[in-house]
Amino acid sequence: MTEKKRPINRLKSMYPLRGLIDGMYRQGLSAAAEGKPVAWCMVNWWQGDPILKAMDVATIYPEDYGAVCAAFGAAQGYLERSAADGFPSHMCGYARNCLGYTGRMMDAGGIPEEAPMGGMPRPTLLLGSGSLCDARYKWFQSLGRYFDAPLWVLELPHPGVKEGLTPGAHETNISFIVAQLGEFVTFLENLLGKKMNRDRLDEITTDTVEMNNWWHKVNELRRARPGPMHSRDFWSSMPASLYMAADPGQTAGLYRRMYDEIKERVDNKVSAINTTEKYRLAFLELPPWHSLGFFDKLAERGWNFVIESWAYHPPRPIDLNGVTDPLERLARYSYHWLTGYYRQAYDAGEWWGYFAYPYLEYVRDYQCDGVVLHPLLSCRTATNHLTLVADRLMKKLKVPSLVIEGDIVDLKLFDPAGALTKAETFEETMDHYKKVRKEAGFSW
Amino acid sequence: MAEEKGLARARAVYRNRRHRAEELKAAGKKVIGYLCAYPPLEMMTALDIVPFRLLGDINEPISKADSCLPSVVCPFIRSTLDLGLKQRYEFLDGVVMAHSCDVAEKTAHIWNIYLKPDYFHFIDTPHTAGPSAVAQHRGLLAAFGKTLEELAGKKITTRSLKEAIKLHNRQRALVRQLYSFRKPDPPLISGVETLQVMVALMSLPVTEGNELLEEVINEVSRRQDSPPQKKARLLVWGSILDNTSLIEMMEGLDASLVMDDTCVGSRFFWPDVELTEDPLDGLARRYLVDVKCPRTFRQTNDGGKTKDYRADLEARFGYLKEYARDWNVQGVVLQSLRYCDIHGYEVPQVKDYLKGLGLPSIYIEHDYQQTAMAPLKTRIQAFLEILDRG
Repeated sequence: MTEKKRPINRLKSMYPLRGLIDGMYRQGLSAAAEGKPVAWCMVNWWQGDPILKAMDVATIYPEDYGAVCAAFGAAQGYLERSAADGFPSHMCGYARNCLGYTGRMMDAGGIPEEAPMGGMPRPTLLLGSGSLCDARYKWFQSLGRYFDAPLWVLELPHPGVKEGLTPGAHETNISFIVAQLGEFVTFLENLLGKKMNRDRLDEITTDTVEMNNWWHKVNELRRARPGPMHSRDFWSSMPASLYMAADPGQTAGLYRRMYDEIKERVDNKVSAINTTEKYRLAFLELPPWHSLGFFDKLAERGWNFVIESWAYHPPRPIDLNGVTDPLERLARYSYHWLTGYYRQAYDAGEWWGYFAYPYLEYVRDYQCDGVVLHPLLSCRTATNHLTLVADRLMKKLKVPSLVIEGDIVDLKLFDPAGALTKAETFEETMDHYKKVRKEAGFSW
Repeated sequence: MAEEKGLARARAVYRNRRHRAEELKAAGKKVIGYLCAYPPLEMMTALDIVPFRLLGDINEPISKADSCLPSVVCPFIRSTLDLGLKQRYEFLDGVVMAHSCDVAEKTAHIWNIYLKPDYFHFIDTPHTAGPSAVAQHRGLLAAFGKTLEELAGKKITTRSLKEAIKLHNRQRALVRQLYSFRKPDPPLISGVETLQVMVALMSLPVTEGNELLEEVINEVSRRQDSPPQKKARLLVWGSILDNTSLIEMMEGLDASLVMDDTCVGSRFFWPDVELTEDPLDGLARRYLVDVKCPRTFRQTNDGGKTKDYRADLEARFGYLKEYARDWNVQGVVLQSLRYCDIHGYEVPQVKDYLKGLGLPSIYIEHDYQQTAMAPLKTRIQAFLEILDRG
């Protein structure tokens, strides 16, 4: 009897990367048990994490824990608890999961017994972020209702395209971030009663950039036909970079192994799906973590998701040679992540340089036939730009979009059967626009 | 409209906001639209540019905005964008927007893309209020000033900016004086009338607004037909209220709305700009630190190893205690637009604070539609009954 192949051809090199996240939760629990500092952090795009690592603070990301709780089916109870505590139900699912979890934790006097992955231990401090969405500092501010961990909020300027390219603006913004990071270091030194080890930070910063450069190279290989890596493998692997789940030098090695595996697939034209690749797609933004099996159904129909979610990709490589201060390197790196497409956006006459413009390049460079938009009913940030993106992709590249509404945590808001029906119909639309693009002289 | 005075003129401007702006535009003035409470009006006034606040229309069904902004975002901002797309703001010479919240920031880009204003500037207002953030904000205001100067074809001088600050501070002082007429029982001016004046001020040049305020203050101080006494004196807190419907509903019951903490009210007008040697310093501080919108994160644990929740609440909401005391408030209506994250996260915390003061509160959520008022009325009625029972 031959074993039936799974619809998605998962990368072997993905598993150790995904395993790093399990390790992150274990390390957090161990640190707490040993009385060492633990931080609950918002994703901060490599601004604050290297500093925390250099200060030997264990980090845990309640955003990731929201996805974990959704995947383990534990989120609903936490959502109900946050509603009972008075938080409006239209707010971020990750946040409400965390607020409900925290309420339960404080009631139980420790980690609630039903908590997946061993749970998140009570933190020593909270690191919020002003990047991309308001929830990522307002939510942590709300945690003051439950415990007394101090909160620090990092800034990352979000200039408009034109304003960001005004002479002097770039360096002014870098100086601001450096000043903010310096204030954060002072806060940590006071809180933890020890000085920052600059040499250690320097090393971690170098490794962080190296890690992300390999991760970037991995994603560059995905332009190949057939697409060698499915978005599911991206989502499983991204937390290692985004949450800096382990020592970045170690993670860099794992991404390099992933690069080698994909390169071999590309050389041998091995696809990420075990059906002929009929359609190449991009997925925007976060997937329904509770229903990832949905992508298997689409893979069976020949849908290969070859690119996704700009905010979870590493920045394009940047030359940081000559920048000796590690805080300045971190500042330049994070700012580059956000504004790295501004020049091209300006040249294209596009005024939303992050979140929206990059998809014009992604869809063109990865030769997508369609885009699946996943507006999140509880997340403005992952949703605001989707209508605009759909419009620009159609106008500029003749690529159609399919809207499937849902949520990252709340499974009641996602209808997989309805979504599949919509997807079947969307194939005709993609076929039609293939012809339209051909007639218009596009290369795919 | 020009012959009308005081409250009647305020009501007329409220009902037809663009009329005066269009007259000014026809007379050769430049008019710039601004969204939210964060663009500094003084810089426009210093160049003889008329600032005109962008607001929505609760009575206008949103139709065109659906083509560029999803339905799960702030209905006020969607309504405002909808009006823009329907060319209700075509008389503007341009717009300035700020990073007042996530959706406002992103809508700024969408506005720029779809409405293609001749002049557009985005101020990336920081989220925090420490020294480096204030310095950053000052630089952002200087950059804004340069683009305004290009538009106006002249320079902002220290003198012209200081004069503009004095004019706007004068307006703020007059607004505070007007609000003091809400302290007696019954108040001398209703919540509905007050909001009409506030909206009118945001639709007129500052000098005309100040004249209007002086007329209103003169009229109200001598009025014989003040609002009737009601059982409950309420404060309304929360996200933007630019239409009188909700207040009209509350005041139609046995309640007087005597104070507000919203951005077309006290939150917008309360703090003055300090007249610093370099006026940009005072402006940077006022608009980032002193305007008490929950969109700004204020650090309350500097140097501490823990965070004291009560102290944090006091630092963030302490002004509400003063409002409640000075305006003799008996209950607080916490209201928020659906999908407003900034206020949504705040609700349980502000409730905790008010509970600590012994002030009853109710939370209501609405979606910026006239039709949404009926179910809210029942809830407010129940709240008033609770207050009545003491």
